[in-house]
Amino acid sequence: MSESAQHLVMWLIPGAPLVAAIIIALAGKGLLKERSHWPCWIGLALSAACALCMWKTIVPAGFDSHSPAVATGYEFLNIGTMQVPIALRADAISALMLTMVTTVSFLVSIFAAGYMHHDPGYPRFFMAFSLFVFSMCMLVLSGNFLQLFIFWEAVGLCSYLLIGFWFKKPSAAAAAKKAFVVNRIGDFGLIIGMFLIWTTFGSLNFDDVLLNGAKIQELATTSPGTITLICSMLFLGAMGKSAQFPLHVWLPDAMEGPTPVSALIHAATMVTAGVYLVARCTPLFMYAPEVQVTISVIGAITALLAALIGLTQFDLKRVLAYSTVSQLGYMFMALGAGAAGEDLMTTAVTAGMFHLFTHGFFKALLFLSAGSVMHSMGDVIDMRRFSGLRKVIPITHFAFLCGALALAGFPLISGFWSKDEILSVLNKASAHTIYGKYFAAVFWVACGTAFITVFYTFRAYFLTFWGPTKIPAEAGHHPHDASPVMAWPLRILAFASLIIGGAVGFNHAFADYLHHGTGLPHAPHGSFNYSLMALSTVISLAGIALAWFCYVQSPAIPEKTATALAPLYMLSQNKFYIDEILWGILVAPLRGLSHLSFLFDKYFIDKLVDLVGMIPRWISAAPRWLQAGSTPGYALVMWGGLLAYLVLVMGSLR
Amino acid sequence: MTPNFDPYLAVGAVLFVLGAIGFVTRRNLIVMMLSAELMLHGVSLTLLAFGQIHNRMEGQTFTVFVLTIAACEAGLALAIILSLYQSKKSLDVSLWGDIREEDLPARALATEEEDHAAFEPAPLVFPGLTPAGRVPGIDMDAPLDGQLIPTVTKNDGKRFTYGEPEEAELTTKP
Amino acid sequence: MIGTVQTTVVIALVAAAAGLWFALPQRLHRWRMLSSFAATGALLWLVSLFEQPGSEIVSRTLFWLFSFGAVLCGVLMITSRDPVHGALWFAVATLAVCGLFMLLSAPFLAAATVIVYAGAIIVTFMFVIMLAQQSGVNAYDQRSKNPVAALFVSSLLLGALVMTLINWRGVGKPAGERPAIGVSTEAGVHALSVPTAAAPQGSLYALGRSLFGDYLFAVEIAGTVLLVATVGAIVMAPRRAQGNL
Repeated sequence: MSESAQHLVMWLIPGAPLVAAIIIALAGKGLLKERSHWPCWIGLALSAACALCMWKTIVPAGFDSHSPAVATGYEFLNIGTMQVPIALRADAISALMLTMVTTVSFLVSIFAAGYMHHDPGYPRFFMAFSLFVFSMCMLVLSGNFLQLFIFWEAVGLCSYLLIGFWFKKPSAAAAAKKAFVVNRIGDFGLIIGMFLIWTTFGSLNFDDVLLNGAKIQELATTSPGTITLICSMLFLGAMGKSAQFPLHVWLPDAMEGPTPVSALIHAATMVTAGVYLVARCTPLFMYAPEVQVTISVIGAITALLAALIGLTQFDLKRVLAYSTVSQLGYMFMALGAGAAGEDLMTTAVTAGMFHLFTHGFFKALLFLSAGSVMHSMGDVIDMRRFSGLRKVIPITHFAFLCGALALAGFPLISGFWSKDEILSVLNKASAHTIYGKYFAAVFWVACGTAFITVFYTFRAYFLTFWGPTKIPAEAGHHPHDASPVMAWPLRILAFASLIIGGAVGFNHAFADYLHHGTGLPHAPHGSFNYSLMALSTVISLAGIALAWFCYVQSPAIPEKTATALAPLYMLSQNKFYIDEILWGILVAPLRGLSHLSFLFDKYFIDKLVDLVGMIPRWISAAPRWLQAGSTPGYALVMWGGLLAYLVLVMGSLR
Repeated sequence: MTPNFDPYLAVGAVLFVLGAIGFVTRRNLIVMMLSAELMLHGVSLTLLAFGQIHNRMEGQTFTVFVLTIAACEAGLALAIILSLYQSKKSLDVSLWGDIREEDLPARALATEEEDHAAFEPAPLVFPGLTPAGRVPGIDMDAPLDGQLIPTVTKNDGKRFTYGEPEEAELTTKP
Repeated sequence: MIGTVQTTVVIALVAAAAGLWFALPQRLHRWRMLSSFAATGALLWLVSLFEQPGSEIVSRTLFWLFSFGAVLCGVLMITSRDPVHGALWFAVATLAVCGLFMLLSAPFLAAATVIVYAGAIIVTFMFVIMLAQQSGVNAYDQRSKNPVAALFVSSLLLGALVMTLINWRGVGKPAGERPAIGVSTEAGVHALSVPTAAAPQGSLYALGRSLFGDYLFAVEIAGTVLLVATVGAIVMAPRRAQGNL
């Protein structure tokens, strides 16, 4: 492929959605109206095709020379020694991520055309949707930290716009605000990390920073604190975006947005940007093992906590949201496992990215199925109000089952492969001499969480689709299953969820491809750990069986358990009171402080300013009558001036 | 014996300052303009004296210009004065302090009402006959002791004074 | 010597200010003529400081005559309660000033001033007074405004002027130490404005040479200003159709 064609293809990946967004923004309201999805579909299809082309052709071309594919743009900043071009840079990590992002985006956009039908903000939705895909592609394709940061913020903005899509709903507006503000905390870390990288390396380009092995090694020996600090700050940014404890509180609330948005942004793509960032910065994290252990531990805490909360939620979308948080925790667990040795690093990153990849498909599928349920149930999402839907909406039922099996890690389905890799890498890491004990704990937490995950996933599944048929009044008398435009994305994603893990995991195709990612140390890919596979099979089947027993066989058990363990149940039901705790330790003191500042401002600063304003007033009170508007008065003053001048002249004549 | 031009300069200064005093203290716009002309005289005189002292013609030349500008100024000023008079029916410069601040006490300005109270024009007394019959409000039984009889008007309770000619017939003179 | 001059100046100024204060229209309303004469006397006393012994008797006499007339008429003008009287006093003061112009060898200017002022400006003033002030005595003519402040500032101004002149001209010093008189300075600048034998100081020829030689451009501008002022006055003056004049 010639160089210009390569550039064109790479630029089309973000460019086509951007053009679509502009077209919809300009013509959506007046011209396109109910046809507003067409530019979005075309743009995203083009983008997905180009991404596949890049994944297949362009990026592998640079594997032998270990160089990323680059498409030049223009120079955005050129200040002194700081040169920040807006350019595209793709290596194996970006290519894999982009393939997932654009494909899922395209499928979700098709689903959204059915789901958002008849919404008054139809063009606005597709505008923001296309803009999001553009921002996400630019984020993944960026070749320097500044560009990454810009589009990091841009996806945050699109997320804000789409969470608050129904902005007249107070809860949606509040959720959008919450997501934005909580993300600010993470972005603060990211930008500090960027500053540190700039002062340390004198450059923001990935190639200059991450591939500069000599400099990193020198830094690791001279001042390991700097690298630790940089990595901590970058991880803080990742925590905000990827909803890690304790910054995970925004993600469940973000379910206020339309379901396709939840599926795409808050499950498949944007929230994985943090994982991508940590994976991208592997060469730095390699030299900060403490940070990696922290990442792993935080990931474990997040995974367990979110899974426990997910156990008791009755809102179908919230269950999925907590499962997303939990799965993101899994990815971070895997990424942190690299602390246990350089040869494990690549395997760890591979495991995390692999789970990201498969999770993107099956979580999007789950959300879309939930959206389909919601659509047919007349926007009711509370699982207590409907049940036994498997006959009513069979397509959705099938799709949801596929997604749930994948999430549960049912043998040979995609979640099985990726989760197994994570458990395997954690297991290997627990053999490490120094950090082994941490990773052992993390490993067992991961196993426990896996069990809880299976349980609550199938709890949701059985509550929704099994049991006596119950349909809420809002759905009308004849709830309809997904229309073709919604059904086909579900089918395709269900198919992908079933086979994609096996297709690229069974023969280590994913790992082989990812090994070529720039900056990753070369490592032999591991073999399968069959005992672990057996363990996860047991976990999966046991979880499904337990859920079957509790929610289909004898539905009285959960209630009894809930009454028996009432305090624990309430704890989980109320999300461990994390929102309240954050309110207590962060928001309330801040409010008190700001109230104090307000009082200080009102009664001290303002008075001070008023005083400054009063001084000229007092001074001018005396000569004010000269300005009384009388002409002779002015003349008098003028002659006073003449007098002063004369006295001066006299003095000089003397 | 060289001539001495210094006293001319002194007279010029004196005229200038006299004009200045008149400009500042007088409230009649016309007198103010006259005072300004007096100041110009002082300046002309000084210019001429300087011309003599330095033995140059500029003094006289500039005086020609002063004269020109004085003529312009007089013409314009009088036009403006007439316009002002049209709108307020008065030549009092105090009435034109409109550009002062709103809340400023008008202590530099005397309002016209106060002035008129202070300078009530001399009472007009017209010759009139002694009123015949009873006049309402006048106590006819009170002894006439050659003084102006104080009477009470119907409305405002103020002491009656001479004012308009038609009211003058209510007064009696012994 | 200087000390005495300064004392004289201060006393004369205080006397003149007091006289003017009495003469200015206000509530105390008596002895206006007397105090006007007193103020004139005090002011002329100031002028007399600049007198040199041994000058020509005729021109000195004339100078004092005209000065007395100008200053007295000026004082009476600014203190008159009737603007008509004020305008007449101003006319007399103008005549006296024209006399001083003659003494300063500016006969043309004296004539021009008489024509312009007495003939045109005063007459215009009279017209305006008659148009605008038909009701006789006005309240605002009976009260001067801020006389104390005005007299204070003006006295300081006059004192400063006089002291400047005294210092500059070297009043009270022997003749040799005083600046020369009648010597053209900066002869090269505006050479046409320097009197020559053919065009002596005070001759109409010399004035014309300067006006239409060195200051031709200024003459043109002055003419334009006059034209503009005329147009402006016509525009601004109230019309009969609109007003009731």
